[in-house]
Amino acid sequence: MGIESLFPWTVFRVAGVPVRDSVIQTWIVMSLLLGIGAWAYAHLRVWDPDMVQLAIEYVVEYIEGQIVGIAGRSLPELVSYLTTMISFVVLSNLLGLIPVLYAPTRDLNTTVALALVSLGSWQYFAIARHGVAAYLRSLVEPTFVMLPLNLLSLVSRTLSMALRLFGNVIASEMIGAVMFMLVPVLVPLPLVMLGIITGVLQGLVFTILTLVFVLDAIGAEDVEAVADHAT
Amino acid sequence: MQPEQQLQFAIVTTIVVGAAIVLGTIVPDLMEGRVIMRAFDNMARQPSVADRIRGLLFVVLAILESCAIYVLLICLILLFANPFASIFGL
Repeated sequence: MGIESLFPWTVFRVAGVPVRDSVIQTWIVMSLLLGIGAWAYAHLRVWDPDMVQLAIEYVVEYIEGQIVGIAGRSLPELVSYLTTMISFVVLSNLLGLIPVLYAPTRDLNTTVALALVSLGSWQYFAIARHGVAAYLRSLVEPTFVMLPLNLLSLVSRTLSMALRLFGNVIASEMIGAVMFMLVPVLVPLPLVMLGIITGVLQGLVFTILTLVFVLDAIGAEDVEAVADHAT
Repeated sequence: MQPEQQLQFAIVTTIVVGAAIVLGTIVPDLMEGRVIMRAFDNMARQPSVADRIRGLLFVVLAILESCAIYVLLICLILLFANPFASIFGL
């Protein structure tokens, strides 16, 4: 398993459909998140909480702070969704640190799937809040001529989120792999640390961009300028 | 395909990829430097909003970085998954 394992490889086939190793690593991430969540839920305490509960509370409060900071008010329906998203993406990006495993987000399929989930969430929150008719009317918002541009912005936002995450993760993994090939002793260390920073940062950026686009789709007025710059 | 044409294809691809990566990351780097300069100036000028600036600074830097990432992706595609390699028999 040389440098070819940097790109995803097929582990087995289910009825002719190839299952890649990034799918198995996604299962590992899912089981880790479910295990931590179930354990923390079973040991919930109001007084004298333990470290796992404090860590999870820190993430939830951070997400809520971001929502309030960007939207101006708290939106409880977004908190659980965005917390799950940031935990999943950050844990997936950092899975490459465990020796046998690789980051599942280095596979373009995983990041496109995450971006499609994000895309679906904007439409879902917009429709849940305003209804289907108002959502369809928002697509022709300034004039009717803007319809293809609005549809194109949906595609370009999704594509840019997927490619940004994929490019960062595979670049950091490739740098690590090349460094380990050249000088395996001490030189990879700062580059792997840089990979950790970009992994956490890209998870944060993915989540905040999802938040900004959801708020734009809901129709928070002061968010549209920020969303247009991030397209 | 004769080996000479394959060699030409390999040489041209390598030169183009090298030049693309060098030229394509100049402008994102300069713009990120400008953003960081302004952010530090304003963080020093108003320490009370320094935390809010720092919070948004990383997000903006990651968004700007994505332009350089697009260039990197095209270069990776040209190197590792070149769609014209099969025409040349490589």
